[in-house]
Amino acid sequence: MDGDMHRGGGDEADKEMTRLWRTWRTVYEMLSDRGYEVSDEELQISLNDFRNKYADPMGYPERQKMKIQARPTEEMKLKYTALPSKLQPNPEPDCGTIYVDFCVDSSGVGTKQVRAFNHIVDESNFHTGIFITQTPISPSAVRLLSGVPGRICEHFQEQDLLVNITRHELVPKHVLLSPEEKARLLQRYRLKESQLPRMQVSDPVARYLGLRRGQVVKIIRKSETAGRYASYRWVI
Amino acid sequence: MAPSQGPSKSALKTSLPSAYAAVNAEQPQPDLNTYLSPSQEEQEKYLQGRPKATPHHLGIALQHAHQIQAQKDAEEMILDRTVELLAIPADSSADPAAPSTEDIQAFKSALVPFRPTDYDNYITERNYEDLCGYGLCPRENRKAVANAKGGQGQGQTFHFKYGAKGSGPGGRGRSMDIVSREKLEKWCSDECAERALFIRVQLAEEPVWERRADDMSVLNILLLEEARARREKQPQPQPQSQGESSSSAAVVAGMKDLKIQDPQRSRELAMERGDNAPATRDGRVDVTIKEKEHGPESSAAAPRMRPEDAMGGSIEGYVPQEQRDKRSSEQHPEDEGDLLDQI
Repeated sequence: MDGDMHRGGGDEADKEMTRLWRTWRTVYEMLSDRGYEVSDEELQISLNDFRNKYADPMGYPERQKMKIQARPTEEMKLKYTALPSKLQPNPEPDCGTIYVDFCVDSSGVGTKQVRAFNHIVDESNFHTGIFITQTPISPSAVRLLSGVPGRICEHFQEQDLLVNITRHELVPKHVLLSPEEKARLLQRYRLKESQLPRMQVSDPVARYLGLRRGQVVKIIRKSETAGRYASYRWVI
Repeated sequence: MAPSQGPSKSALKTSLPSAYAAVNAEQPQPDLNTYLSPSQEEQEKYLQGRPKATPHHLGIALQHAHQIQAQKDAEEMILDRTVELLAIPADSSADPAAPSTEDIQAFKSALVPFRPTDYDNYITERNYEDLCGYGLCPRENRKAVANAKGGQGQGQTFHFKYGAKGSGPGGRGRSMDIVSREKLEKWCSDECAERALFIRVQLAEEPVWERRADDMSVLNILLLEEARARREKQPQPQPQSQGESSSSAAVVAGMKDLKIQDPQRSRELAMERGDNAPATRDGRVDVTIKEKEHGPESSAAAPRMRPEDAMGGSIEGYVPQEQRDKRSSEQHPEDEGDLLDQI
C-alpha cells in the first residue's frame, strides 16, 4: 500500500504521513479491541484515503483535524457494569464516550497542552480521553493527566502505537472478564481475588486495553500439550 | 465503642499534621478532621467485617491510610505549585538579578515542599514553555540548535569539530557536543544557571510528608544574590582573628582547646553528615536508648586451664583420632589385647 501521490512535501512528509497512518490504524484497532463502536471502513482506512483526508497542501499531516470519538458497544457496557449490590440495585456501566486527540506540538509537551486536553475532556463530558503526543510528556504533565477526578485520561506516544503489539505472535490473547464472569471464576476456584496472579496497570497490553485496577483478564495461550491454556490475571 | 477510641487515637499520633501546618501556613487549613477520623459507623463496620480485628488494628490501618493520603495531598500540592510558579515573574521585563519582592516571596514559599527532583520537573516544565529554567527570570532559554543552524552562534561554544576536512556528514567535519544539548538549553545564561542551581542545592531530599514542622533548614531558602550579600557582610571579623592565630602562643592555646568531643563541633559534623539526631525529635516511635547496666564485678575473667584441656580437648564435641587412641589406651590398656585374641 505504498503512496503513489507525492504532493510536494517530499520524502520527509511522506514518511511522517505513513507513520501517522500506522498509528491511526492502531488507534482504531485499539478502540475496537476495547469494545467501542468502530466501522470497518474506519478500521481499514488505506494510506491514500488517509492522506486525502488529513494531509495539508504540503503533504504533512494536519494533526488538529485528527480527533476521534467513539461510543461503547452494548457488550462493552455489560463488561463495565458492576454487579448489583444492596446499595446499588441497578448499577450504571462505568464507561462512556471516548475521545482521542493528537497533540499538534512536536516538542516540549508540558502541563499547558495537558491542561487544554483535560479541559476538552471535562467540558464535552467524555468518559475517557486518550492523549497522543509525538514526544514524551513532562513528569508533572503525566501527574496532571491522571489527576482528573471522575474521568480517565490516558497517554500514548505516536511511536508506541506504530505497531499493534497485540497482533504479535508472542502476545497471547487477553480477554477482559465482566464482573459476573469474575465472580464465577472466583467461586469456581474458591479464590479471593488477591489470590490470583497479577498484572500491572502499566503493562503494555493492559495499557492497550485500558484496563483498570481490580479487573481480571483471561489470557489464552497456545499449548503444545493441551491445545489451549487459559490463565487469569488480576490487574493491580 | 468507647474503648475503641482510646488506642486508635494514640496510634494516630503522627508528625504529619504539624508538618502540614507549617507548609500550609498561608493557606486556610484543609478540613483535616473530615478524613482524619472516620465516623463511628465506619469504624464499627470495619470491625464487624473482620472478626479478629481489634480497635488497635483499626488504629494502625487508619494511620497508614492517613500517611498515604498525606502523601497524595503533598504531591498534588507540589503539582499545583509547579503550575502556579509558571506564571511568575508576571512582569516580562523583570531582572533576574533583582526580582521584585512579591515574586521572591511567592517563589520561596512555593519551593518549600519541593524536592530536588520536583524542582527538576519544574525546570523542564518552564523550558517547555520556552522560559529560562530559573524561576525568577522572564527571558527565553537559549536555543543551541537554532544558533548552530545559523552558523556562528553562541551555541557553537559548546560544540567542537574534529576529523579531516571534508569528512563527516555534509563534508563539514565531524562534530560533537561537549555539553548535552538539553543541559545547555535549560537556561538563558550561565548566571541564571548558577542562580537556579544554587536554589536546587538548598532543597531537602526528604519528601514533605516525612519532614518535621521544625525543620528550619528548608524554610528559609536563599537566592544567590541574597547569599552573596550576606557573605560580603561577614568577612570583617575574619582578618582580626587570623592575625591573632598567627602567633605561636595562640596556636598553643588553640591546641589546648582541642577536644575529642566538643558538642559544638560534633553538631556541625552531624549537620555535615546530614544526620541530625532523629531519635531526639518526636517521631512516630518513641525511642529511648537504655544502656545495659553492669557492675565492676561482672567483668569477664581470664580463661583458666581445666583438666580436660591438657590434651587439647575436643573440637566442638569431636575428639581427634590421635587423642582418642591415647585416651582409650590410658583408660583400658587390656582392651586391645582382647580384641586381637578374638580375631
